[in-house]
Amino acid sequence: MQPDQPAPGRKVLCIEDEHFIGELYDRALSKAGYVVTIEPDGAKALEKAETNDYDIILLDLMLPNLTGIEILRTLRDPARVPPLKSKIIIITNLEQRDDVRMDIEKQADGYVVKAELTPHELVEFLNNIK
Amino acid sequence: MDDLQKYRSRLRQLIFWLLIVENIVLIASWWALDQYLNLSKGIVIGISLVVAVVTSLLIMMIASGAATQPLKAIWQLILHLSPSEHGIPKPQIKDVKFGLELASNMANQIYQFAEVTSKIATDSEHQVHDLSLNFIAQNMPLPLIVLDPSETINFANEAAAQYLGLKSADMKGKNVYMVLDMSFPAEPTFDTWLKEVKTKNATATNSWERVRMSVGDGHPERLFDLAAYYNRENPEGNETMLVLFDHTKQYSQDEQAVSFIALSVHELRTPLTLLRGYIEAFEEELDTSGKPELADFMEKMRSQAEQLVAFVNNILNVARIDNNQLELHLEEAVWPDTLKKAIDGLSLRAKVRGISLHCRFAKDLPKVGVDRISITEVINNLIDNAIKYSGKSTVIDIETKLTNDGLVETTIKDYGVGIPNSVMNKLFTKFYRDHRNRAQIGGTGLGLYLSKAIVSAHGGNLWVRSKEGEGSTFGFTLIPFDQLTDNAKKAGAEDLVRDAHGWIKNHSLYRR
Repeated sequence: MQPDQPAPGRKVLCIEDEHFIGELYDRALSKAGYVVTIEPDGAKALEKAETNDYDIILLDLMLPNLTGIEILRTLRDPARVPPLKSKIIIITNLEQRDDVRMDIEKQADGYVVKAELTPHELVEFLNNIK
Repeated sequence: MDDLQKYRSRLRQLIFWLLIVENIVLIASWWALDQYLNLSKGIVIGISLVVAVVTSLLIMMIASGAATQPLKAIWQLILHLSPSEHGIPKPQIKDVKFGLELASNMANQIYQFAEVTSKIATDSEHQVHDLSLNFIAQNMPLPLIVLDPSETINFANEAAAQYLGLKSADMKGKNVYMVLDMSFPAEPTFDTWLKEVKTKNATATNSWERVRMSVGDGHPERLFDLAAYYNRENPEGNETMLVLFDHTKQYSQDEQAVSFIALSVHELRTPLTLLRGYIEAFEEELDTSGKPELADFMEKMRSQAEQLVAFVNNILNVARIDNNQLELHLEEAVWPDTLKKAIDGLSLRAKVRGISLHCRFAKDLPKVGVDRISITEVINNLIDNAIKYSGKSTVIDIETKLTNDGLVETTIKDYGVGIPNSVMNKLFTKFYRDHRNRAQIGGTGLGLYLSKAIVSAHGGNLWVRSKEGEGSTFGFTLIPFDQLTDNAKKAGAEDLVRDAHGWIKNHSLYRR
């Protein structure tokens, strides 16, 4: 995988419960050559993420059944064997409490305020993930 | 007592031999007087008497001197040890010929006795001291916890037990991290700090704000400030001391305010995300060839949506400032470059109004320490104001220079409507808007309030000079990066640097 290059076929799990946002991201990412799976449910998303089958996981924080921060903590549990290879990018419009923010800074690979990026800008952002 | 008997027998021997010598002298003198000098009996007796008296006196002196030798040594010793008689040298027990062992033995006993009594005296002093320390620690109305080198709780006072809803006896002997499940707003946390000082420092202190901790079911979460003291050589294993300052009420009020705003911001941002997404999709798909007006509409919608996003961020920042939670991530920056980038973003808006932005940047300015996003917001606000209040004038001057104090000063000068004296002092208050122009000029009344707070947080100063009808000059100073305190720099370097849209770990473009 070449860094800083759009990577056709890179698998993205987009954990996002807002249907229209998921749809917009799916459209833009698919156009750019990413293979996208959208999952709006927290618990089901964790199951999917645990298959270790994705290059990138886009993780919203406010989710039904299991919150994003719970998913992040589970996926980044240091006791996990083998460790999760996926890069985890938090996508949120919510401002975090300091302790949650610290966990995100430690455990996530990237962070995006959704309102700050258009779907295209998100694609550009993901293209930069090595 | 062996030594006493030894001394007595030596004394007996001495007196015995002295008496023998005296008797021999008496007999000899009697015999000599009688034999060689033909003297009358009376005179012989007289002379003998005189000899007897003289030798007896000699014997008395020798015997009494010998008998009192050890006493003399002991007396000197007592005087030496006595608290009221200072400056008396310690007696040389060696000089004692009679009863040396007795004297030195007694001396040793006296010394031991003296030691014991002085120890008793100081011990009781210590006891009183310990008691009062214990009283203070136990009853101090702040939770106090003391840890041994293995981070086990050695002592927890009554206030600590109460605060944590435990018994102080139950806390003793437990690992501190089992008892206090603290979460910290930022690095270093207490445990990383302690780990570090243990390898580096003999003593250290540190404090933390807004530490949170849940104390079990049914109890509200605790929010407190924490102060810690570490001393590697502390006696009795009391190596680390923790004091907790409860601010649950105050901090949770702040948090409720912020979390209300954070939630509102979330609710506003979600439709904005969608709007921006669909506008983008439209721009992509819509065939505007031959309809330049449509392209223009799209562009306007896009820029308005962006402005709304910025406004939402402003609201969030004001809430942060009001609760002292504004966080800057300072980085070293070439100021004219940063400034130019911000100005470029605004020149279009100025152009639309027929205003040109004239820039004059001093050369060789020192690099400054800024949070790019926040400081861009300041520039945006000030230039935006200058554009809005330019009236009929067509020029805005933007200058940077080095002040006499070695600060980097940026001024934005317009030649517009100016500000009347009467409102100058209200200018930087929240939600203040110039009533004269309220109908014509849009704004939130947050821009200057926010800008001043951001510049202050950078260590600089934001000021204004204005004359009604002649225009206004807004200026602000920034501190050169080299002059920033080490702490500020450290925070900037260690902290991940924010990008406008988000961050990617270890990436040069979206560095964090």
